[in-house]
Amino acid sequence: GPVGLATGELGAAGPAVDGPEGGAGAGMVAEEPPAPPALPGLRLVQQGAEAHVYRGLFLGRAAVAKLRVPKRYRHPALEERLSRRRMAQEARSLLRCRRAGIPAPAVYFVDYVTNSIYLEDIVDSITVQDHIYSVQKSGNDTSDLHKLAEKMGELLARMHDEDIIHGDLTTANLLLRPPTEKLDLVLIDFGLSFISGLPEDKGVDLYVLEKAFISTHPDTEMMFQALLKTYAASSKKSGPVIKKLDEVRLRGRKRSMIG
Amino acid sequence: MERTHRLELFPDRSVTLLLFQHVKNAAALRKKAMEGSVDGALINPAMIVDTFQILVAANKAVHLQKIGKMKTRTLYAEIIFSLSPSNNISDAFKKFGISDSDTAVLIVLVVDGDKTVNLADITSQVEGQQVSLDELPQLTDTAKVKKMYKVTPQEEKIGTLLDSVVCRMSTKDVL
Repeated sequence: GPVGLATGELGAAGPAVDGPEGGAGAGMVAEEPPAPPALPGLRLVQQGAEAHVYRGLFLGRAAVAKLRVPKRYRHPALEERLSRRRMAQEARSLLRCRRAGIPAPAVYFVDYVTNSIYLEDIVDSITVQDHIYSVQKSGNDTSDLHKLAEKMGELLARMHDEDIIHGDLTTANLLLRPPTEKLDLVLIDFGLSFISGLPEDKGVDLYVLEKAFISTHPDTEMMFQALLKTYAASSKKSGPVIKKLDEVRLRGRKRSMIG
Repeated sequence: MERTHRLELFPDRSVTLLLFQHVKNAAALRKKAMEGSVDGALINPAMIVDTFQILVAANKAVHLQKIGKMKTRTLYAEIIFSLSPSNNISDAFKKFGISDSDTAVLIVLVVDGDKTVNLADITSQVEGQQVSLDELPQLTDTAKVKKMYKVTPQEEKIGTLLDSVVCRMSTKDVL
């Protein structure tokens, strides 16, 4: 999910958990942030639009707690249903991934009352996003990132072969376990995931990642190409998916053909 | 010897685990448990991989009790039920509860936060030797656990058996 503030959202700029109620801003409804869970060693990790993410010890283990942010502009019944469904989808996808051997965090506890989910914390991991930043900064480029791209392509191919659509593929939603050199990837944040066998859905999943690459990481076209190449080679069903990806690229957003 | 953990999300509750070996009166204990005269959950340690597994079950059971959504009638029954990957209550008891021939028993107690646990009460009922929970891994029947929770071979490559087990426990009512 997005780190920090999403566009158009009112709220605390800093890590303050008690967000301002009815703050400045014409016509914007402030969202009531969820109360942080009382976990030892609690740290706020991310204050996204969809959920506040914390790290702490849960039942003696390093865990991640995701507390959904209730949207007060929605009708309460709809909000409840949507929240419930997202939580369920995330839990289902995580289990489905794990059963297929696709690395994703284990689920420790699902709380439908507060709409929170407690997951395994991949301790000392870094996001692929941060890894790419640091590699590019240090100038060690090509070969490291090429290998990483191949691993990503292979992982996504396996995920799509299980008909799991991530729904929010970005380099921030892929973690590297320590030690980084092993390129041991873990997929996270399945809040927008769903099950589908349609090449269109898989194509869009890849397209989202491509756009995320382009916007977040300059000079990574080769990297993404390598990712796609490995994806195509690893997935049994990749043909139609790549075709759909090309179609979606042509359609795109803000590519109006109206003069 | 025993271990106690206060539930972070429900700080008014503490979970205490006791492990016994060389138990001679499993049949009597089981009968008492069925009658409801044992103030604790009696669990077959062979199905337990780690104390975390018990804590996850206890956490979920307490959560459901507090919102009035338990599937069973008592908290201790709910803990046993929460351990099971299936939604069949009697199956859960059969597989995770103790049977007459068992010689090892794991007992789970849940008490209100500040009250001290009356261990003598429960330990006096067991004809066996209380041992440290560090002995638990030796009592685990890994093959049986894998079969019970239907752990796939691919899954074993990406995490521990405990991860697989806990994942199924926590998501069984989501599916």
